[in-house]
Amino acid sequence: MRVMKLNNQCKRIRTWLYAAISRRFGPEAKWLHNHIMYCPRCQHRLVSYGKVNLALSFMKSQPHGLDLLMRANTQAIAVLKHSLRREPKAQKLERKLPEPKLLERCSHYGHSAVNLAACIVILLLMKIGVFSSMGNLQTQGQKVIKQYYVKQVGEDLADEIFARDTKPPSTANSHGVVNA
Amino acid sequence: MTLMFGKAISYGSVWDFAADESVVESQRWILSTMQNYGQELVTMLWRILGNEQDVCDAYQDTFLQLAHYEGGRKPKHLKAYVFRTANNIAISMLRRRIAERNKRSRPFTTASVSSPAREIDSKYLQEALRSYIAQLPEHLRNVITLRDLAELSYSQISTILGISAATARVYRCKAIQLLSVWMSKEE
Repeated sequence: MRVMKLNNQCKRIRTWLYAAISRRFGPEAKWLHNHIMYCPRCQHRLVSYGKVNLALSFMKSQPHGLDLLMRANTQAIAVLKHSLRREPKAQKLERKLPEPKLLERCSHYGHSAVNLAACIVILLLMKIGVFSSMGNLQTQGQKVIKQYYVKQVGEDLADEIFARDTKPPSTANSHGVVNA
Repeated sequence: MTLMFGKAISYGSVWDFAADESVVESQRWILSTMQNYGQELVTMLWRILGNEQDVCDAYQDTFLQLAHYEGGRKPKHLKAYVFRTANNIAISMLRRRIAERNKRSRPFTTASVSSPAREIDSKYLQEALRSYIAQLPEHLRNVITLRDLAELSYSQISTILGISAATARVYRCKAIQLLSVWMSKEE
């Protein structure tokens, strides 16, 4: 327990330090922007970094043929031993198409999941609201009925009837009225 | 005599079948490796090479090397072996391609007039970066290909290359610095 607490504290301090340092020395720091604005050497460096990043993004975003995996598998399986080539798994691989990762697949359902979660939260809130209103209504009703009994049969008897808050009003009513 | 010959053939085929079965048993993991890492490997090779036929060739060579690793034995760190082999094969192919192109025409790096249009020409930038990645020292190149082209995490890279995640980060930073210097010299 203590170790966990310490770990949490460490994590908090680390996050705080990181945020503070990146605010002061990160790429968003104002002094850095001001410096770059007037330093041709840094401008040049920044441009070349940007160029590398741009080229990397181009390389990543370039799509390949949908059947590339299938073709690569077929070609690779063709050089394996005969017995392996005949395996059902090998035949499956020869027809395999690229599949999106689990995260990518789930991202399509992200909006629906968020909507569903929002609906559930709203329903829960409504349920909590309805139940608390019902509780209020019940206590208010009990108070009114007690007032009525106090007026009609006197305070002592009314107190006796409504002695326990937990007793439902209907039970109290049936006993009380009969007794009265 | 015919009977004996027939029997010999049938024993032979039974023996072949048994040998086949044992090969299948002992090397089935190659197909599983293909199934598990095939997609990631193809993506990485495609980004390094940018040519579909070269990707197929590099992929084939990778699995051929894997099948013949120490007489068909399974490597201890399979993923590391597969990724490093594929990476090395792809870089060798890339270097060969660049050398051939340089022989045929003017070298790519001392190229032509730089213009704003050329600066953002996707193919030009990609080819320039590829040729520079091929020139990087091995330790930096491995990190940049695994991190930026295969999109593996630093912890995965550290396992594959046998270095710490922090070292991998430092190597990547150095590689980017070097690449940016070379890219800017080109202008």
